[in-house]
Amino acid sequence: MATAVQHQEMPPLKTPRQLSPRIQWLRDYYFQGADRKWNNQFLAWSTGTPWDVQFNEMTFYIVPEAYTLLQTLRGSFRQAARDIDLPHAFWSWSLPERRAWFVKEVMVHHVPREILPGDLLAGARFNLQTSLCLTEEEQKAFDDALLGKNGARARMKWFHDHGYGNTGATSGHLVPDHAMVLQNGWRGIHGDLSKCYENLNRIDQEGPRGAQLRAMITAATMPRELAAAYRNLCLRMADAASDEQRRQELDRMAENLERVPWKPPRNFWEAVQTLWLNHMLIMSDENYPGPGVSFGRIDQYLLPYWEVSLREGMDREFGKEILKCFWIHCNTVYDAMIRNGRQGITSGFGQLITLSGMGPEGADMTNDLTYAILEVIDDMSPILEPKPNVRLHRGTPPTLLDKVVAMISDSQGAPFLLNFDERSMAGMMREAERAGCRHLIHPDNVHDYAPVGCLENTMVGNDRSGTVDNNLNLLKAVELALTGGRDLLPFHNPMTGKTEPIAQDGPQTGDAVTFESWEKFWEAYTVQTDYIIRKCVDTYEASESLRARYFPTPYLSCLVRGCAEKGLDVTQGGAELNFTTLEAVTYATTVDSLLAIKYLVFDRQKCTMTELITALKANWLGFEVLQTMARNRAPKYGRDDDKSDAMARQVMNLWCDLAWQHRTTSTDRQFRPGMLSWNYWAGDGFVMAASADGRPRGQFLSNAICPSNGADTKGPTANANSVGKVLGGRATDGRADWGDYFNCLPNGASHTITFHPSIIRDPEHRTKFKAFLKGYAENGGTCLQVNILDPDMLRDAQQHPENYPHLMVRITGYNAYFTAIGKELQNEVIERVSHQGY
Amino acid sequence: MHAIENHPPDSDTRHPEAMLFEIQRLSTEDGPGIRTTVFFKGCSLACTWCHNPESISAQPQLHWIASRCIGCGTCCTECPEGALDLSADGVTIDRTRCTNCGQCAAECPSTAMEIIGTRWSLDNLVHEVLKDRAYFASSGGGVTAGGGEPGLQAPFLAAFLRTLKQESIHTAVDTCGCFSGRSLDDFLPFTDLVLYDLKEIDPNRHRMFTGCANARILDNLQTIRARMAAGASPGELWIRTPVIPDATATEANIAGIGHWIADHLRGAVSRWELCAFNNLCRDKYLRLDRDWPLKANPLLSRDMMEHLADIARCSGVDPDIVHWSGSTQCPVT
Repeated sequence: MATAVQHQEMPPLKTPRQLSPRIQWLRDYYFQGADRKWNNQFLAWSTGTPWDVQFNEMTFYIVPEAYTLLQTLRGSFRQAARDIDLPHAFWSWSLPERRAWFVKEVMVHHVPREILPGDLLAGARFNLQTSLCLTEEEQKAFDDALLGKNGARARMKWFHDHGYGNTGATSGHLVPDHAMVLQNGWRGIHGDLSKCYENLNRIDQEGPRGAQLRAMITAATMPRELAAAYRNLCLRMADAASDEQRRQELDRMAENLERVPWKPPRNFWEAVQTLWLNHMLIMSDENYPGPGVSFGRIDQYLLPYWEVSLREGMDREFGKEILKCFWIHCNTVYDAMIRNGRQGITSGFGQLITLSGMGPEGADMTNDLTYAILEVIDDMSPILEPKPNVRLHRGTPPTLLDKVVAMISDSQGAPFLLNFDERSMAGMMREAERAGCRHLIHPDNVHDYAPVGCLENTMVGNDRSGTVDNNLNLLKAVELALTGGRDLLPFHNPMTGKTEPIAQDGPQTGDAVTFESWEKFWEAYTVQTDYIIRKCVDTYEASESLRARYFPTPYLSCLVRGCAEKGLDVTQGGAELNFTTLEAVTYATTVDSLLAIKYLVFDRQKCTMTELITALKANWLGFEVLQTMARNRAPKYGRDDDKSDAMARQVMNLWCDLAWQHRTTSTDRQFRPGMLSWNYWAGDGFVMAASADGRPRGQFLSNAICPSNGADTKGPTANANSVGKVLGGRATDGRADWGDYFNCLPNGASHTITFHPSIIRDPEHRTKFKAFLKGYAENGGTCLQVNILDPDMLRDAQQHPENYPHLMVRITGYNAYFTAIGKELQNEVIERVSHQGY
Repeated sequence: MHAIENHPPDSDTRHPEAMLFEIQRLSTEDGPGIRTTVFFKGCSLACTWCHNPESISAQPQLHWIASRCIGCGTCCTECPEGALDLSADGVTIDRTRCTNCGQCAAECPSTAMEIIGTRWSLDNLVHEVLKDRAYFASSGGGVTAGGGEPGLQAPFLAAFLRTLKQESIHTAVDTCGCFSGRSLDDFLPFTDLVLYDLKEIDPNRHRMFTGCANARILDNLQTIRARMAAGASPGELWIRTPVIPDATATEANIAGIGHWIADHLRGAVSRWELCAFNNLCRDKYLRLDRDWPLKANPLLSRDMMEHLADIARCSGVDPDIVHWSGSTQCPVT
């Protein structure tokens, strides 16, 4: 009966459980952070030339918090770098060959190797800053293009300073072809690469394709040699081990490493060891810790090994123990800049794993390993990496849903993201159609997709879609439509104290004050949207072309299908599927601002355009009544209100159509649309001027595809319906992208909904919550983060009611907007949520 | 005393309209699954503990929400009756002058002035509630008509539920049972589940707490039982009892209701829910400028609810149908 569980107190914070002494020690040790004796912080390595540089700053162009550090980091790594003796021929080699040799040399011969007590996996330090391996001439050309007056850095800074967003060629964010290594071993890859090379004609062999393949062949031997070195370490440690069990483990690890990853693994332990070495060396190769380098469908490709080992007598708990070691290893990415603390770039690297989901013909692929991994997450959490994303669909078995909801109930929010297959696959099919790649993405393989980073959907093993490379504030187009192509406010540089005069940056769409109809304003908005997208594409090209020319990643290229065949590095467009994603930031703020302009100026004539523009320039100071009206009376996206959502659709369709019109010049990658806002919606709220939806400068913008903060006053179902609608909704007449689903965003869209804990308070309500998730699969978006209301949020709402007009408290039949009740009652609600969980 | 004549103004029968005070989506407390609950405005009872005091009057009512107000004074300027006054303490409504015309609410920039009570046409309401049909389907949920007393707007209610049944939506009516028995047969045929309140078994005490005796309520309930016995709708019947300290929260009452259920409704009731007193509605009374005698009453203890649930289980009903829900006192910390 329901009441038995109903009054149990909820643990305020999930704590790890059922950890063996081994894992408990490793976990505790990890969380000692900077106090640890061992860590995996960046080690820098140089060719020893006076012009040498390690730091590839372009990878940080999408991290505005890091802008002020770029020059310092460049200098410090250079200062700290240790010299490596180079072979005589080094400077006669091509750049990819130099780089392949250098990274391998550092990893195999210079980076210290350790195995932590009890650890079952080898491969510890991998965070590197390796020399760019440029000649003096190359370095100069690179630096000119990077640091010159109109160089990549200056252009990216201008783009951000003026509120457009950020853009830069970023590492990671793909699912490598791990399945291929598991199947053929690196020996197989090495053999294939050699064949590709031999099949080139002489001219090609001597040209860039040959150079690239030679670099990849070198890189393909790195895992073998590193494994051999770790094997020796295991043997030495086994000899010295006083504990018999540990000695046996180390012997077994040495045996594993004797075979893998050069030869294909035969059992689960070997397979996980293979996977880890594959993965960590990508981060070494890219000189960046874990940036969305994702594992894909780990419960599918590891399943055969799991089953073999279980059949051969592996204890299921020991299998989980191996996985738990893997979990610890993934978290050591954070050591890269461990002394910076955990803010900004050091939180959330997004080594994503995908669980469950659909297989061929709609079959569900949940299996015992899916559950084992969920148990590992449950036992280990809270822990940041790897991030799990559980794929749900209409055929998801009730047992999996039960487990998912139980874990959400236990953790005051989901320790994973939920991806929704039908909608996601519709997006991938749309991509196939729009980009003309139906031979690579089609109804028979689209179920093999997997998200990277957080939720960005891609194909697996042959796809680099630059999923976080371009983050564009759509709201900028509203600002420029109001002013006819000029910033609303002059940019003031806090570093120099100088204020730049306002310039005519965008197209002249006329003074909005003269617009006599809403249609005129919309026209101006479309022209300015087209402009900001072009601006983003151009700014991106600066770093994309430099990366393609100066920053090859031959090791990673071995793991991406297409690179060997084309003889092209993955940074040069070698992958079979080459996209770069334009992520729209501020979607709801943009829609709501347009709705507010239409409502205030044209439909209801509450103010003139002049007044509105004056109010925005004044950051609403002196215009509080108008601001309040914009906030509370103007319609909003996210309430399942067909009229407002129609405006949202218009904005969406325009944005998508324009995004598909572009390709990169240097690498011929197709732009595709998506919606992800990482943390930009918070930070850029301080960069962007006040907006017509009532938001003052300094208040957060809207996040990804979510309704504006507080706008979803009709609750979670209405919120989800609005999201599904703007992605295209459904149709049963055969026109849809996949099944009866439309989805205009192949990348997918980040969606967060916060629930009152009463929705999961007892088995009866948990069943209702499961049903909500099933309903979301029908009506909602591609990916959902479930948050559960906690007392801290309520206290914040008490302090800042303007941010939480939507916050509903539900106490068995009593529903009220939290901010509409008195303080004393609010305190009581906070008490109850704290103590009873609802 | 609120009489049964508390009807909303007559509506055009060809284009029926309802007077509602809220539509609650993702409702998880008013029947099985995920539901949209439509709250009808106007009630035939006036329970002292009512936690939706805005549901009692069938007329639109103005209220002022302090936390939303920016003190701009627009409402005072807009009011044609001069019924509003803005002072340092906020806006006061002179209820003797206010005609609930809604002009202030229409112009209030912040929605602090709000009219409770909106007219809905049948088509619009059906369109609105069907927006969540995917969630109804995934949860075995549907639409609940509650209130207030939906039975007071029986012609609209019947038309509404009939349309939903044509759309194969599960329907529930949450009723206090105090309305003309003739209305019952208007809507029962389109009702899958009735959530029926039995608050107090003693007729005098019932009158004291709610303004009406319970004879009509018990009669109507027996009519429903008879329809069920004949194999007609509703298919399912739940009983709900508000458990209110110093009122219905007595052993005698709970046992008495249980006996009555056992005697008169044997086998027909699939769930009897004891709903613990909720005092979070205090602000609602304030906003309607009404004093609430129960405002200082504490919540019941969990032990008390468990105890009354045990009494209910031993009262002759099938013990498995007894549930209790609602807030109880926070554990002492």
